[in-house]
This record gives sequence, structure tokens and C-alpha cells, in this order.
Amino acid sequence: MWLRKVAAFLARDFLWELSYPLNFFWRWSSIFFNLITFYFLGRLISGATAGYLSAYGGDYFPFVLVGLALGGFQNVALTSVSHAVLYGMYTGTLEAMLVTPTSLSTIVFASVLYQFASSLVSVLIYLLFGILLFGFSLAQANLWAAAVIMGLTLLAHLPLGIFSASFLLIFKRGDPVTSLVGSFSALMGGVYFPLEVLPGWLQSAAQFIPFTHALEGLRQALLNGRSLLSLGTQVAVLGLFAGVLLPLSLAVFSWAVHQAKRLGTLSQF
Amino acid sequence: MRGPSLRLSFPIITDQTFNLLWKGVEKIGAHNFSGSAPAVAVSRLSKYFPLINLRGLLKGRRGQGVWALREVDFQVAPGEVLFILGPNGSGKTTLIKLLATLLAPTGGQILIYGRDASREPLAVKRHLGYITCNESSFYGRLTGWQNLSFFARLHGLDPKTAIPPVVEELDLTAYLDRRYFTYSTGIKRRMDLARGLLHRPDILLMDEPTTNLDPISAAKVRELMARLKAQGKTMIVVTHRLEEVQRLNGRVAIMKEGRFREILAEEGGKLEDIYARVVGEGKHVAS
Repeated sequence: MWLRKVAAFLARDFLWELSYPLNFFWRWSSIFFNLITFYFLGRLISGATAGYLSAYGGDYFPFVLVGLALGGFQNVALTSVSHAVLYGMYTGTLEAMLVTPTSLSTIVFASVLYQFASSLVSVLIYLLFGILLFGFSLAQANLWAAAVIMGLTLLAHLPLGIFSASFLLIFKRGDPVTSLVGSFSALMGGVYFPLEVLPGWLQSAAQFIPFTHALEGLRQALLNGRSLLSLGTQVAVLGLFAGVLLPLSLAVFSWAVHQAKRLGTLSQF
Repeated sequence: MRGPSLRLSFPIITDQTFNLLWKGVEKIGAHNFSGSAPAVAVSRLSKYFPLINLRGLLKGRRGQGVWALREVDFQVAPGEVLFILGPNGSGKTTLIKLLATLLAPTGGQILIYGRDASREPLAVKRHLGYITCNESSFYGRLTGWQNLSFFARLHGLDPKTAIPPVVEELDLTAYLDRRYFTYSTGIKRRMDLARGLLHRPDILLMDEPTTNLDPISAAKVRELMARLKAQGKTMIVVTHRLEEVQRLNGRVAIMKEGRFREILAEEGGKLEDIYARVVGEGKHVAS
């Protein structure tokens, strides 16, 4: 029964996406244009960055490609839950779902599954375009380790999205979680440049952001073929974030739902 | 419990006298049934909406809130229709949303076939069909069939067997392949009814089912309501239209400022006049 309900959400979101065929097309083509921009940027600065990027093979394009791919994945983890909740509240579809014998937790988690699947496909498209068009190579990659890091990235970032949705259930706007984590991750996560170019105190602060460890782990797995064992620090940190934040975020979400029913904000926007 | 002032013999009731009146009459909604257990039993139901004020929270103060419902009592027997009238802001929609388990009560209890709605919401929802009357509560880019399939699956139903009889009943079959956003308001309202009926609920909760409909579409909805009543469905209908009340011959209650008062048959007189006297805004009633 539960799986059938989850499948209903996946079908709904797939049909919704198909109803905008041009958007479907442009989403993938934007990945191409994004990559080609960074490809030429990489050619421009290739000599200057070699020292900073020696731990990742010395070339800028593979370095930034992995960063861009995981950056999109993190963004979905941070925003998809709150987007699903807000859309449901704004349109009234959330109320229509809540009067069915389906729990709110099922509704919320099933509502974001398609987006996660879609962002995973985006990561693969990034890698595929990189291989086919820009000479990116996965010859040394440890794909198994990369998959584990991706899974842990999701589990470590999803709680932040749940915190964000909990805030929005009650206050509707002004969510501080996504804004802060998104901004800090962009600056200190290392998508566009290695952390070594930052001042020491910012490098230290970056260690408290799960994305920093996720990106480092994925780069090491894909670009240097590092095994899971040798990525113990990244795995442990991401596991710690997930293990602590996931149950905490679920408890906060449950509290927020109760408060929203008490305050009557579940159907307001 | 009935006090002498229940006769409502004065032309206009001020807020002050209205509140005094309530002390005598608000319990009369506890209808007596002979035999059958109530489908819906509401006792001392209250709902307070606190106002969230960030400045107040930071200073440790609670903001001023609103009592949307005050100790409401009533029961509805299986197969009965209860119409709830009242001016805007009187608490009608809050009451419907509490019954639909979309809000948590501040006090009191709702029993659906003897089951506590707060404690067993999932079990209770199987009995309830909620007609939201909110056009945007569907997915506009999906077809009618795709929309109904989604909600049927959330009820744990097979769309292929659940949807056809309902859409046939509502004369919607010809529209199912079209995208929802292409529908007229009348068709959208019937889609809303279809969604609420997919799981064959015993109790229907309707919040202004004919509002914003043209006369023909409204008449179709009323016809359907009459058929549902004939099928023995229990209905609680919030409405501003006395025409619906007269057509379906159900029980009638009026809400004002969160208080609930049932109009009893022995009170006599025209419903319009009683409404005008209780609410003091009779000219706002659509007939």
C-alpha cells in the first residue's frame, strides 16, 4: 500500500514534468552550456591553478565539473522539501492530500522523490557530457565509493531541507536555513575553487558544512579513485551529520505539523 | 436548557443580547436520536487561533488570538443532512476543517462513528469525503483522469475500478482526457465532488459547494446533493444559500462569532427571518 502511494507521487511528478516538454529539454541543455563555459574558463586559467589543484590531478575542468554536479544535488536536498510543502499549501493540494488516509510524512517524502531521482540523473548527465564532449575521464574513478558518498550527501543535507520546511510550515517565508547553508556552501563548499585559496579561518569554518566533506569525498572518489576506507573522514563526518540531524529534523517537523494544525497555518500562505 | 428568550421574538439582536442568549441555547444542538448511533458527534469543540508575533515571542509574550469556535456541541445521525449558515468569519470553515482533521481542536472532542478524530485520524478519514471547493487544489497541467488517479491511489484504491462509476454519476466521463486547467468552474466543482466521492465515504463535508457557480451548474450540484441524500449519505454542508437548505430539507444551524445554534422545527417562521434575527445581517443571505 505504502509503495503504491509513493509510486502515485512519482507518476504525478513525471507527468507534470512531461507536460512542460520545452522545460524538460532546456534543463538538459543548460547543463551543456554551463559546462562549456567552465571548460573555456578552465583553459584560460589552467596554468595558474595547477598548484592549487595538484590533489585533484591539476586540471580545473574535472575539478569544477564534479563541483557543479554535486552542487545541483545539494540544492535539491536543501530546497525540495520546502518547495513541496509550500506548493501544497499555496494551491490547496496539501489539504486535498491530507484528507486521504495518507500521513503527512509520506506526503512530504514521496513528494520529493522525483526531484531527487531527477537531480541524480542531472549528475549523470554532467558526467556524461563531460566524458563525451570535454575529455573528462572516469578511468580511475571508484564508482562504488562515489555512490556511497552521494547517498551520504543526500542523508546529510535532507535534514536541513526538513528544518527549512518546518520553519516554512509556521512562518511561511524568510526561511533562514536554506539561505544560510546555501550561501555558505557556495562560498566555502569548494564548488568553484579549492578551499586552500580561502583564509585560514574560513577554511576552518568550512569544516562545519557537510557539503565541504561531500564534495571532497566525491572528487577523491571520481578523480583519484580513492576507496571508501581511505575516505573514512568524509564518510564519518557525513554519517555524523546524517545520524544526528535526521532524527532531530523529523522530530522538529512533527512538532511543526502539530503547531501548524494548532495555529491553522497549514492551509494559509 | 431552553430559556424563554429562545423564541427570538425581537427584530434585531445586539451582540450583547446574542451572547446572553447563547448561554441558554447553545446546548440544544445536542440532538436526541432514537436508536442509531451518531455518524458525527461533536462535544464542547473549541478552536483558538493564537497570533504569531515574532516580536512578542522574543519578549516572551503571546500575541492576541481569535476564538474561532466556542464550545460547539452537535450530533448528526447517519443519513442526515446538516446545513451550517452564518456570516463570513463566523467559524463555519474552521468547523468543517476540524471535522476533516485538518486542524487540531483547542478543546473538546469530535467522534466519527465513535472514533476520536484527534486520536485516530487515519481511521476516521476513511469515512470522510471533504469537498474543498478550492479550484486550485488540483494539478492544472494534468488531465482529469490523472488527477483523480493520483487521489484514488492515496486512498489505496485502484483507479480503474474507483473512478468510472463516480465520473459517470457526475457526468464527467467526456472531460477526463482534458487537462484540468481547461475546465470551466462548474466542471472543476464536479471534479472536486468526484474526488471527495472516490472512496465512497459515508460522511461528506462540503464547504460552500455552489459558491461561484452559474445557476445551471449550481442546480447540477444541488441535484447531486439530493441524490447523495437519497443514497443515505450523511452530509454537513456550509452554505450561504437558503435555496439549498430548502431543497434538501435538512437540519439547519447558524453560526455567529464561533458559536453554534441549531434552528429547531418547532421554532416556526421563515428561515430567512430567523437567520436575520440571529445574525442581524439578514440582507446578506442569498436566497
